[in-house]
Amino acid sequence: MTRRPPPPPRALHPGAWWLWALGLAPAASRTTNPWLLLLVLAVAGHVVTARRSDAPWARSFVVFLKLGLIVIAIRVVAQTLFGTPAPGSVLVDLPEVGLPAWAAGGTLGGPITDTALAGALVDGLRLATMLACIGAANALANPKRLLATVPAALYEVGVAVVVALSFAPSMVASVQRIRAARRLRGRPDRGLRSIVTVAMPVLEDALERSLALAAAMDSRGYGRRATVPARTRRLTTTLTLLGLGGTLVGLYGLLDGTGPAALGLPTLLLGIVVAAASLRSAGAGVTRTRYRPDPWSGPEWLTTAAGVAAAAGTIVTSLTVPGALDPAPWPLLAVPLPAAATVGILVALLPAWLTPPPLMMTAVRRQPRRQPRRQPDPAVEAPATSVSPSSEVAA
Amino acid sequence: MSDAAIPTDGVAPATSPALRTRSQLRIGPRSLAALLLVSAVGVIAFGWPLLAQPGSGLAHATDAPLLFALLLPLLLAVVLAQLAEGGMDAKTVAMLGVLAAVGAALRPLGTGVAGVEPVFFLLVLAGRAYGPGFGFVLGAVTLFASALLTAGVGPWLPFQMLGAAWVGAGAGLLPELRGRAEVALLAAYAAVAGLAYGLALNLSFWPFVIGNASTIAFVAGDPLVDNLGRFLAFTLVTSLGFDIPRAVLTAILVLLTGRPILRALRRAGRRAAFDTPVSFQAPPGGAPRSP
Repeated sequence: MTRRPPPPPRALHPGAWWLWALGLAPAASRTTNPWLLLLVLAVAGHVVTARRSDAPWARSFVVFLKLGLIVIAIRVVAQTLFGTPAPGSVLVDLPEVGLPAWAAGGTLGGPITDTALAGALVDGLRLATMLACIGAANALANPKRLLATVPAALYEVGVAVVVALSFAPSMVASVQRIRAARRLRGRPDRGLRSIVTVAMPVLEDALERSLALAAAMDSRGYGRRATVPARTRRLTTTLTLLGLGGTLVGLYGLLDGTGPAALGLPTLLLGIVVAAASLRSAGAGVTRTRYRPDPWSGPEWLTTAAGVAAAAGTIVTSLTVPGALDPAPWPLLAVPLPAAATVGILVALLPAWLTPPPLMMTAVRRQPRRQPRRQPDPAVEAPATSVSPSSEVAA
Repeated sequence: MSDAAIPTDGVAPATSPALRTRSQLRIGPRSLAALLLVSAVGVIAFGWPLLAQPGSGLAHATDAPLLFALLLPLLLAVVLAQLAEGGMDAKTVAMLGVLAAVGAALRPLGTGVAGVEPVFFLLVLAGRAYGPGFGFVLGAVTLFASALLTAGVGPWLPFQMLGAAWVGAGAGLLPELRGRAEVALLAAYAAVAGLAYGLALNLSFWPFVIGNASTIAFVAGDPLVDNLGRFLAFTLVTSLGFDIPRAVLTAILVLLTGRPILRALRRAGRRAAFDTPVSFQAPPGGAPRSP
């Protein structure tokens, strides 16, 4: 019995991480149970630490956590200053001031009770947990690979975004170069006036480059579309306008609430489906092959399923144990831990082990140096034939 | 070779109908209809807390933000695809990409979720120089690229994209003026648009960020006036102190740099010759001479 070797490191499909996070986020948004929220936070944090690469975007999880702390602070401060009276024992009694009539006659200050404060804390925690789920997706999914999955109809806009992403670092370099040049000439490179003198050359530089880039792209056939039959084009337009119109009518139906029920949600859903179909039809005008598409195989399915399990567990709990998702948050030890939701959220932890390890940027750069050392390994070496270096890329 | 119909580098064609560079992304009637429909949906997406009737399906604070965060990306994709179908050549794509890169590089200069005014400064000028269609797409693309660069993709992104797209398109729709009056108009517009954008984004996360047990919170299904008063109080205590200085700063930036930047953008637009139809003619003297 031999242990299976760990799978070779590769980046998971970014869509899989987003679907996982979009399953985990509703598990947080649907509940104010502090234990479940902390569990979701722990799961997201563990998966991020286990599966993030060393790319720059992998650090964004911490940024989202800090944003969550700010949200909790806003919630608590708003509750203490503008809170409406709530039952419970009074912790602090702030002096009360009436607000002017246009502010709907609210009050400033007043007594702060323990239940009101705990409610504000838990509600802030709920938002912070949702932010952490989104931050996890941001940290785990490669944004540039995510861009490769935009629908074919958005080809031109996608190319514009790719151009923007690859030009932004050189913009920063351009700003630094021009500021350095100004410093060398003994001119100020700070302050409002210098913005004008630095911004102009940077912009001229950028516009020059855009024209050069356009010429290069034109000569390589970018932006060419296949000739689309007039019928397909008419179909696309009809679907687009019908889909958008249906969405609009459906939303108005939902907003109004007095019209016939069919005008609301059914019309909205129909509009969304038709609009999505129009996007598909518009993609017919783009004939392109994709360079090295990201694979979608077992680990991607597992990751998506783990996210869906978290959402499903929460839904099962909300149907079977009413009240378990929205318990009184105070006292903390009396808060129940519903089984189905807990199991669902714990399933979302599995991608930390079941996905291939992430591809490290530094490892990619180091690889050529490491390869010769690995080759003499007798278990790998084929006996008579010489192993070509390219053959070990497979698998 | 001498009778090429394409204007040469740097020289505006003498037959140019106006000094103004024509719109780079023409909005046809179909694109216009799609734009108006998506904007109407956008108005609901931003303003549902104020518009929802009591007892309507949207009057729950928890479901509506989620619905719009998922619905808006699809609708933005549809309208951008429709605009692209109207004709987006390599020059427009390159110009969009490069200007979005400049905007994304400017973005970190402002802070906070709603603090994208340094971006507005470029967006307003580019929307003015290249027309409403280009401004709309540039607004959406800039905010999207900036979110990808800073790994800040979240539920607020579709709202920011739509808001910035409106700002860019609005700059292209301003009345035609020249010289100092134009720059003054653009500066005033940049300040107002920045404030309106901040208010709209506040409105989009207001029902979300303040709990319902507070006197400045959204109350589902309340009359418009009461919710509006509470919303203004919320804005006053949270962001107005930052929004107003930022709007003033943006206006000053536009006043200082508006003329040279507009000139640079228009020159680039003429050099790219966006409106020139490319036609090939057989040389008059029969077979072409070998060089």
